[in-house]
Amino acid sequence: MSVSDRIDAVSRRFKRRSPSDVQTLVLALLAGSVAVAVLTPLLWVLNSARSVPIDRFLEILLRQTTFDILLNTVVLVVAVTALSILIGVPLAVLTAQTDMPFRRLFTVLAALPLVVPSYIGAFAFVSAFGPRGELATVLAPLGIEQIPSIYGLGGSVIVLTLFTYPYVFLTTRASLLSIDGRSVEAARTLNHTRLAAFRRVTLPQLKPGIAAGALLVALYTLSDFGTPAIMQFDVFTRIIYVRTTARQVDIASIFSILLVGLTVVILLAESRIERGGETSAYVNRGTDRPGVVRLGRWRWMATLFPLAIAALALALPPAILLTWLGRSTPELAGAAVDFQWEFAWNSVLVSGLAAGVSVLAALPLAYLSARGEGRLASLPERASYVGYAVPGVIVGFGLLSVALNVTPFLYGSIAVLVFAYVVRFLPQAVGTTRSSILQVDPQLLEAARTLGKPPLAAFRKIVLPLVMPGIVAGAALVFLTSMKELAATLLLRPFGFETLVTYIWQVQEAAVYGQAAVPALVLIGISALSMLVILGRERYDVKE
Amino acid sequence: MMTTDDDTRDDGSTSERHRPSRRRFLAAGGVAATGALAGCTGLFGGGDDGDYGPPDYDAADAAMEAMAISEFQGSGAILEGRPAPGGRSMEDLPNLSGELAIYLGGGEGGLYRDLFDVLEAVYPDFSYTAQPKPSSELAAQIAEEAQTGQLQADVFISIGAGSLGAVVEEGATRPLTAETVEPVPGAFVEPDNNWVGIAGRARAIPYNTDQLDESDLPDSVMDIPDADPLQNAMGWAPTYGAFQDFVTAMRLLEGEDATLQWLEDMQAAGIQSYDNEFLISDAVSTGELDAGFANHYYAMRVLNGSPDRPLDLHFTRGDAGSLVNVSGAALLDRDENAGLADVFVRHLLSAEAQEFFATRTYAYPMLPGVQPVGDLPTIDELETPDIDLTELSNTGPTTDLLTEAGVL
Repeated sequence: MSVSDRIDAVSRRFKRRSPSDVQTLVLALLAGSVAVAVLTPLLWVLNSARSVPIDRFLEILLRQTTFDILLNTVVLVVAVTALSILIGVPLAVLTAQTDMPFRRLFTVLAALPLVVPSYIGAFAFVSAFGPRGELATVLAPLGIEQIPSIYGLGGSVIVLTLFTYPYVFLTTRASLLSIDGRSVEAARTLNHTRLAAFRRVTLPQLKPGIAAGALLVALYTLSDFGTPAIMQFDVFTRIIYVRTTARQVDIASIFSILLVGLTVVILLAESRIERGGETSAYVNRGTDRPGVVRLGRWRWMATLFPLAIAALALALPPAILLTWLGRSTPELAGAAVDFQWEFAWNSVLVSGLAAGVSVLAALPLAYLSARGEGRLASLPERASYVGYAVPGVIVGFGLLSVALNVTPFLYGSIAVLVFAYVVRFLPQAVGTTRSSILQVDPQLLEAARTLGKPPLAAFRKIVLPLVMPGIVAGAALVFLTSMKELAATLLLRPFGFETLVTYIWQVQEAAVYGQAAVPALVLIGISALSMLVILGRERYDVKE
Repeated sequence: MMTTDDDTRDDGSTSERHRPSRRRFLAAGGVAATGALAGCTGLFGGGDDGDYGPPDYDAADAAMEAMAISEFQGSGAILEGRPAPGGRSMEDLPNLSGELAIYLGGGEGGLYRDLFDVLEAVYPDFSYTAQPKPSSELAAQIAEEAQTGQLQADVFISIGAGSLGAVVEEGATRPLTAETVEPVPGAFVEPDNNWVGIAGRARAIPYNTDQLDESDLPDSVMDIPDADPLQNAMGWAPTYGAFQDFVTAMRLLEGEDATLQWLEDMQAAGIQSYDNEFLISDAVSTGELDAGFANHYYAMRVLNGSPDRPLDLHFTRGDAGSLVNVSGAALLDRDENAGLADVFVRHLLSAEAQEFFATRTYAYPMLPGVQPVGDLPTIDELETPDIDLTELSNTGPTTDLLTEAGVL
């Protein structure tokens, strides 16, 4: 804890009975109700689980298949998270702290895979590397008949890593950009080698950033249904989906509860890492960036790494989509509804609303967690992550039931769909907002207050402009993940309301893959724009 | 309505439209006969009593031109020399009028919509909104909606009888009129008329004729795991609804133990999993697989696109392997559009619509007078198992078996 933080803490302690207590109470109430609201779909799960007799519960719990699926899920989550760190952190260092050529271009390229829906990625990978894929077709004349199978754990890990590592990349890069260069210089003057300085000074400061990104990767992996389904790898989401649609909601709910348990374990693990590095989640006062690492003759070689990742994650899926476009399916010509631009507009509308609602809901959670005292203050923020880890089909059926029973007048409107997105993706907005609040010097607010500004005005005039970039980045993240959400969209969209993903689902169901190309490219294109918003915020950071 | 027939025919013939006759007839009728129409809302206002009066022969005459059979027929080598479809013609049916909301289950949603679009074009006062989703998800959703009395759609069209049975069990349906289900054989109608089949889908074994002889394939599906030529050569799609219905049928016919044994034996015989049954049929036709488990029409699709592929269908005899399941329709129990929904389903069972299902989706028609495409055996020639399709809704124990066998 730095000296100023201590002073800050002491001064806060002295002001116990000040009007700010009322503020804190209001804030806590707001944050608490947001947390309760986003947890409502889980009430449905608990309610359905209630009907299961305890012996049946134990019997299902203790089955060999339950254990296998748990093991598969854990292995998948650990592998994807570890691999994402191994890709995301070096990419962040390369683009933020070295003299590698075309750093800005590679920053954009490294972040973009996040906009590709992982089920489209998985599909592209099967088309490219599956038993009858493009690669097999190319290799067959060369006498190579068998290529290693893309299905199973391997394929799931590769695909999920390629399309989720940008979370780690983005959060690590943000941390890197906010590191006070003077501490690194100090270490260097104390005879540390560059590597030792990185390990002992930079890395500890990066840890919370890496952990925040890894958390998003781990929870996304836990909740993803499409990739393991296409890769034929058995995890919780698949069993939950199968059981839910077989109307065995009780069994699905048991697995959902296990999944929530796993989520809580992951959240606790991440909290420990973050608390361990709490001193580094500090107020960024320094404007000195650490010196750039000169790569010397490795300068150009270094570009091969981001290039290879971009080729797999960014070039391959559109290339496969374009071959579909060229592929005619005469036996099914005219089988599916033609693509309409209205679908794209619908996608943008609901995702945009979800982004707007999410950032508003995120503010109290993030503020309380960043500025509140004690572990209780972080509880609403932590709780909001649970929805992110729950598969869309559970959120979908949960909200379906809640809407039918509690707010029937909203059932079948886009309000329910937007709320589903908020439940699933709110933590992304909370995360970016919280980290930008942490970077605002609380003394600025105090200063404004001493100058006679009422609390809300001080917040609006001082804090809000400073945290705006974080809010905008959060909105963009929620927007682009909502754009690609499939399960809840399919279930909760109003009658006659089609979006890009529901259209892609329909033509893919009808095996008219060629017709999926245009909407998929439109989806990726629109989401890419919002990714530019996220990176644009960075440029602002750098310039300040 | 009847009183304005003459006027409208005169009016109609003076205005040239791209879609002739019935549309023109009704459009003109709508203008000329507003007063008359007000008196017979049972016909045009979407009344609930299902009484649509006697067939409107004059309108039907006009419709003849509009609904040339080519509107409904598919194309391709497979359809050459087809006889004209027999059965109740669409032109003998009451008009469709009003707005219908349809829950549309599963994969062939796009194809079915082509048919609905034709109906929309023929009847200017008729329009529909469809919400496509996987059938099993829709059944679960309908169950939830029915519990709170907030059904959103008038008709549920499912790709399998299992999901239809499920919504009937939940009390979410009301019966179709006897007149609507009358031409369909009893096996494809729920005993209380709560759902009716609109297109049949037979389980089959697509096999590669370069790699296998039909004599390599057992007549009993239960013998397949032991058949030497089929070791490490087959594929199935265990997450696919139609496959699960097939396992349910096996469970009902052979018992749980035998089914579990069969599932385990198939895995021991090195069966490979696929995402859906079109992929299986395609893989068989390219030689990636020698044979597989799939609905019959996927092979027909592959063949209509690539007629030279060495692909044929084998049907087992009198067991789960030759189950004929149906795509079917149920009326959802809500106050709106009751009559319209029933007459809509009646249209789906007309000779023209059945010709559409037969030639566009390669399904088994529900009317005896309409032939299946190509050299498919007729339903009578298939030795289908004796099974109540409604029982296919009991999927719970099946999922348990599939999980226990490690297939799901």
